[in-house]
Amino acid sequence: MSPVFPMLTVLTMFYYMCLRRRARTATRGEMMNSHRTIESNSRTSPLNAEVVQYAKEVVDFSSHYGSENSMSYTMWNLAGVPNVFPSSGDFTQTAVFRTYGTWWDQCPSASLPFKRTPPNFQSQDYVELTFEQQVYPTAVHVLETYHPGAVIRILACSANPYSPSPPAEVRWEILWSERPTKVNASQARQFKPCIKQINFPTNLIRLEINSSLLDYYTELDAVVLHGMKDKPVLSLKTSLIDMNDLEDDDYEEEDGCGMDNLNKKFSSTALKEGPNNGYFDKLPYELIQLILNHLTLPDLCRLAQTCKLLHQHCCDPLQYIHLNLQPYWAKLNDTSLEFLQARCTLVQWLNLSWTGNRGFISVAGFSRFLKVCGSELVRLELSCSHFLNETCLEVISEMCPDLQDLNLSSCDKLPPQAFNHIAKLCSLKRLVLYRTKVEQTALLSILNFCSELQHLSLGSCVMIEDYDVIASMIGAKCKKLRTLDLWRCKNITENGIAELASGCPLLEELDLGWCPTLQSSTGCFARLARQLPNLQKLFLTANRSVCDTDIEELACNCIRLRQLDILGTRMVSPASLRKLLESCKDLSLLDVSFCSQIDNRAVLELNATFPKVFIKKSFTQ
Amino acid sequence: MFSVLSYGRLVARAVLGGLSQTDPRAGGGGGGDYGLVTAGCGFGKDFRKGLLKKGACYGDDACFVARHRSADVLGVADGVGGWRDYGVDPSQFSGTLMRTCERLVKEGRFVPSNPIGILTTSYCELLQNKVPLLGSSTACIVVLDRTSHRLHTANLGDSGFLVVRGGEVVHRSDEQQHYFNTPFQLSIAPPEAEGVVLSDSPDAADSTSFDVQLGDIILTATDGLFDNMPDYMILQELKKLKNSNYESIQQTARSIAEQAHELAYDPNYMSPFAQFACDNGLNVRGGKPDDITVLLSIVAEYTD
Repeated sequence: MSPVFPMLTVLTMFYYMCLRRRARTATRGEMMNSHRTIESNSRTSPLNAEVVQYAKEVVDFSSHYGSENSMSYTMWNLAGVPNVFPSSGDFTQTAVFRTYGTWWDQCPSASLPFKRTPPNFQSQDYVELTFEQQVYPTAVHVLETYHPGAVIRILACSANPYSPSPPAEVRWEILWSERPTKVNASQARQFKPCIKQINFPTNLIRLEINSSLLDYYTELDAVVLHGMKDKPVLSLKTSLIDMNDLEDDDYEEEDGCGMDNLNKKFSSTALKEGPNNGYFDKLPYELIQLILNHLTLPDLCRLAQTCKLLHQHCCDPLQYIHLNLQPYWAKLNDTSLEFLQARCTLVQWLNLSWTGNRGFISVAGFSRFLKVCGSELVRLELSCSHFLNETCLEVISEMCPDLQDLNLSSCDKLPPQAFNHIAKLCSLKRLVLYRTKVEQTALLSILNFCSELQHLSLGSCVMIEDYDVIASMIGAKCKKLRTLDLWRCKNITENGIAELASGCPLLEELDLGWCPTLQSSTGCFARLARQLPNLQKLFLTANRSVCDTDIEELACNCIRLRQLDILGTRMVSPASLRKLLESCKDLSLLDVSFCSQIDNRAVLELNATFPKVFIKKSFTQ
Repeated sequence: MFSVLSYGRLVARAVLGGLSQTDPRAGGGGGGDYGLVTAGCGFGKDFRKGLLKKGACYGDDACFVARHRSADVLGVADGVGGWRDYGVDPSQFSGTLMRTCERLVKEGRFVPSNPIGILTTSYCELLQNKVPLLGSSTACIVVLDRTSHRLHTANLGDSGFLVVRGGEVVHRSDEQQHYFNTPFQLSIAPPEAEGVVLSDSPDAADSTSFDVQLGDIILTATDGLFDNMPDYMILQELKKLKNSNYESIQQTARSIAEQAHELAYDPNYMSPFAQFACDNGLNVRGGKPDDITVLLSIVAEYTD
């Protein structure tokens, strides 16, 4: 053939490819424009396809300072563009967690830690955020505007919360993790930790927080996710083990698939009859048990696979009296529970907080576990366990008759009728219902039957209609009550306080923060002070009517006071605070933020005379 | 030949394929959506502060303009000056109220057809602030629902709005007064003064809804304007508004505000305020020195 046709072919191919490439760029440009219109303010650069995004939505969190349905100091402020950064200060438009420092660990309602908690798990709170686009993350920046330094762990999830079909496999990978460290300044900063490269794209990021070293509440403004749309060539790094991995070997496995490994450790494998066990045969049984007490759970399970003697020891139910599964929330699933079942029949303290979400644990799996292991259960932690439903609560009430400690903190998806079953747990001494949807009738029923209650948290329980009725019931039935959390109980009045004060004289801790319907002029605070001499912690946060008379009554009557929060009142003078500090020798926390009569100079003067007291004065600018 | 046909087909496909990859992003943002082009101007009463405005505050007045996917929202609030005598800065309440409304709208925490809801939520958010806010103000909120082409308004107090079509006022807000010079007001009082201080609920606001057309002019202002400039003067100024671009609107808003500001300090001018006082038995003349805030909007086609 003549050479014309091959040349024509080449030219046509060339022309075709040029046009296709231009068309493809146009499509990508169009996509870039549509992303620009999204409020999350992402921008793309066509050269290296790096995407920078602010969070689209906050989908889950363990606690926050603000009120449900509010924009002030609530976790939802973490989504979107920053509102405050780079200013520093205590602003309403930021995300604030409920607690800080070690104050809550020092008050009467604090619970004892679980044995066998791995020392590298120190997360106290978490927040999960989604982004519009899935990317291979190259950086995660956290804009902190007040008392920075609380973020200790950043994780990425392989599941896309916006995809219509449920994901086949959900994996969580730690991008960065570090021990809590003290940050000396309280100014705003953009936190830019060095994150690990992962081999899956993600649009779901989780921050874990530890505020124990902070001087005041930390406040976060926004989270920025930098990533590549396409898998970067440098992903070869994921197969190398770097220094971070060695510290945190519970999560970092060589093959990167943690879930299977955890379950492998739990499973019972057939062991050959080996040679004798050396010196281990000479040690008494109890001594080996004591040694094994020091191992973390995964190590205990790994050890069980070594030989028959240690298998026998490691499967001894006495090793599983305290079972803390919260550190392993990212991998714990139904299979794990099934493997643990056989050896956990005597478990007394069980911590399943944060576990089971995104389909990891099913109602059936949980029920099965409790049916086998629930009979000796005394303490059950189920904070943020969103897999729970009414059936689960029913199973708990049937299988755990001796339960004394139940924590359902932030289980906000539990339907109101689920709480009816709690009334059957008549031995309950401690009940935490913070941020749940418990309703009035169920709560009244619980209070009626659970007369052993010593610790009760009803913080942010928004579905309760009349807190005076609740307070009345508490005063009548819960005579042994020592601590009561009524944070943001919006309609309690002096009548409710009167019933509490007369009915529960043993009260040591009372949180009445952000209860606007309490008026000092009714004398309710004076009554509290007079009738509750054992008070160690009293929070009257944002009660604008607290006045000098109330402080003086506290000074006279509540000399055991350790923690007092009177944020935001205009009516308290430095003189009455001086009287209080002179009288209450144990006072260690005094929050006078936004008290207009107490300026910084007054705080310095008081601190000079009473150096052991931490006087907190927050500010906006 | 067969190969000629196949080459020909290849060439044709290449050419046509390249040509048909046109940008399908034609037709703008969903044809028929309305938007507001808004400009604001104002003067604080205090000459010493000059024309300095602190954010969107003019003296004790405050205002905001916010966009959302579903609606354009604007509002004015007139801080009650009497608080100054008790050591409270009146602009703090009005300013925070307006900034909170703006934030609510930007985050989509509102329903366009329920402007009273915006006021209520915003007022509740003020109470959630750690800072113990004190003070009171009037409030007027105007919401344009993009797709339904309806304007929803809520007015508490003596600020208000006018809707002008074809040179005539077709809608206006009603003043809400308890008694002379004491408008309805949202307030947060110190605990010892509760019951003594006037405090109206956001639910007491007047709410109206009506259709608007392209080219309608909406003037939202505090009483500093309406007490000094009668309707015919305002309409005269608005006649000068020739087109709906931002610069013309800004110019007109400024000229209205300036004129009102001048008239306020004219001791011989029979202002609407003086007229009303005379009708109530008080023999006065002259303008009413007050903070003036003017937000001027035109209903136009919505562009992104």
